Amino acid sequence: MYYIHKIASITHQDSFNQTDVNDSLVEITEDAVLISPDYKKYILPASLRRLSPILRMAVAAAKECQEAITIPFEAISVGTALGCLTDTEKFLNVINTVEGEILSPTAFIQSTHNTISGLISLELKNHSYNMTHTQNNLSLEMALIDSMLCCDEGKDFVLLGVADEAIDFLNKLKPIVLPENSIVTSGTTFFALSKKKSKSEIGFKACRSIIKAKDIEVDIDLFLRELKIEINEIDRIYTNQNSLDYPKEMVVNYEAYSGLYFTANAFGVHLAHDWLIKEAKKYALIVNSGCNNSLGLILLKNDKA
Amino acid sequence: MDIFITGYGVISAIGKNVEENFSSLIQEKTAIKQGLKSFTSKFKVGEIGLSNDALKVEFDLKTDGSRTALLGMVAAKEAFKNHSHFEALRTGLISGTSVGGMDISEVEYRNEMAGEKPNYKKYFHHPSGTTSEQIALELGITGFVNTISTACSSAANAIMMGARLIQSGQLDRVVVGGTDCLTQFTIYGFRSLMIFDDEWCKPFDNSRKGLNLGEGAGFLVLESKKSLEITGKEVLAKLSGWSNASDAYHQTASSPDGDGAILSMKQALKQARLEPHEINYVNAHGTATPNNDLSESKAFINVFNGKVPPFSSTKSYTGHTLAASGGIESVFAILSIQNSMLFPNLNHTTPIEETGLIPIKNIQKNSEVTHVLSNSFGFGGNNSTLIFSKI
Repeated sequence: MYYIHKIASITHQDSFNQTDVNDSLVEITEDAVLISPDYKKYILPASLRRLSPILRMAVAAAKECQEAITIPFEAISVGTALGCLTDTEKFLNVINTVEGEILSPTAFIQSTHNTISGLISLELKNHSYNMTHTQNNLSLEMALIDSMLCCDEGKDFVLLGVADEAIDFLNKLKPIVLPENSIVTSGTTFFALSKKKSKSEIGFKACRSIIKAKDIEVDIDLFLRELKIEINEIDRIYTNQNSLDYPKEMVVNYEAYSGLYFTANAFGVHLAHDWLIKEAKKYALIVNSGCNNSLGLILLKNDKA
Repeated sequence: MDIFITGYGVISAIGKNVEENFSSLIQEKTAIKQGLKSFTSKFKVGEIGLSNDALKVEFDLKTDGSRTALLGMVAAKEAFKNHSHFEALRTGLISGTSVGGMDISEVEYRNEMAGEKPNYKKYFHHPSGTTSEQIALELGITGFVNTISTACSSAANAIMMGARLIQSGQLDRVVVGGTDCLTQFTIYGFRSLMIFDDEWCKPFDNSRKGLNLGEGAGFLVLESKKSLEITGKEVLAKLSGWSNASDAYHQTASSPDGDGAILSMKQALKQARLEPHEINYVNAHGTATPNNDLSESKAFINVFNGKVPPFSSTKSYTGHTLAASGGIESVFAILSIQNSMLFPNLNHTTPIEETGLIPIKNIQKNSEVTHVLSNSFGFGGNNSTLIFSKI
């Protein structure tokens, strides 16, 4: 077990530092906006001005996790599907408009995927292992698998996080590259993880990434069988799929609350975590099904239940 | 646990395969020259003189993708050639890239800005994760696929990630490395940082001005002992140590004393259970920027207690291939072990004043090479070290 000692999410829901993120959920609408904390509490004003939304929210969420555990993290593992899109687009505009002149490097510097984890290491003054995974909608799973490895290798506390940001341009990619009816949003979720038991005693039990899933229900069965758990032991499934063949009352569609970004399954984990505490239930499964038939499965367990 | 290397593949400006790269290294022949593309023509770059269509034909590539993906397929296929698929083996692919499909996106984006009818389908190729999926598809690998994006240390981190997954028993065999093509985005990006040398880059020289960019890909096949028993492949070398540490100093610059680099090298040595004096050759990160080379030199002096082993930056041959560099230079490290040779650092005349360190200046044949240390340092303070050892 890899216990969750803190979760911090900034999303289009009122999710940051809530006791139970399920309490204030509203279904996502086209006009929903990112609900940001007061970033001045986390980032110096001089830096804040330069930072895009993805960097601001990731740093704030990471700092909340650091504050919760007080001792330094021994590894930082970040997942992002599309990276720092605001600065990427900004620099694309710069190179196409200011030919020949001196270019400002800020957007370029902040356009690389590892700007997120790099900036966190800078802000936390953390010299430890620092990794950035980007595997489309399986980016959380990849960063999580790495975090679990870090714990197994003896690292005490690991900072695991994901972040993705929406830019208007993404809406142009509907319906060709992105689903037609999707509401494209931004979000971040960071976790303080350790093999040491947390107060809640809830943690990640297992994670599986499948590049080409044949049949979701069959893959779920196989995953659970390896863990010697029956499907009827699962108390709830959090998924972005509408067509799963399980009783309706046990399935929650997290994307209805998060909107679409490719690491939103981390928000599903957050919903599941808080629900397991409140209902004193044992197992929640996060089923993340993406384009190209990829599939991510994450099992959360509550030791107290 | 031993991590065995049983395949390698590379494409860079100095050659389309391992043999051609080796031949250029021995002949002390750089391939950095004035660029051929509209966005490279003002600069000296390590460009691969084959168009995307030419790559597809020459290497019989069946999967479409960005130039980053195509270059990755060429090197990964060479590494994985003569490898078969086994039911009993869990095989994965982990690739590092920093630009992903930007070469396609930047053209589409510019065309749309210029008022042309956009073809949004092209953006399918954009995500870095997609480039790895395309490389895996070309190789017929359907298991674990992951992409690392830590700027210039991406490939080194992909190699490390693969080794750790084998060590933990989650994979038996994994194709690891990195790929990046030249894009207008990166050329203009590095220009904005003003760290280009208009002439041939001079790593570790007192008068060094900056880097030359390059493109390419480098991949290895890593196997566990269990996997070797099934594949029966010949072992080229071992991956005996790795480490990743954070400089946590500045978004782009290295700390003056190379704190992150010191940590990374020391931890890798510790993991390989080697003393500093046992390293026979260091393939440096050596970008030829004033900042990196001074900081890395100081880190060498610290880690090796003043007795710095023979070292060189082969970026003077290939240019700085960013996310691919750790993959390409890993292949060079293995070539050094296999052939008992140390590859030179071209264009060096005067040692850096503060350190006085002199890199290898000519090819050194008949050198005993048992352990090679390879550095890759990325933007954002991502410092990584790999150690390769003779079998």
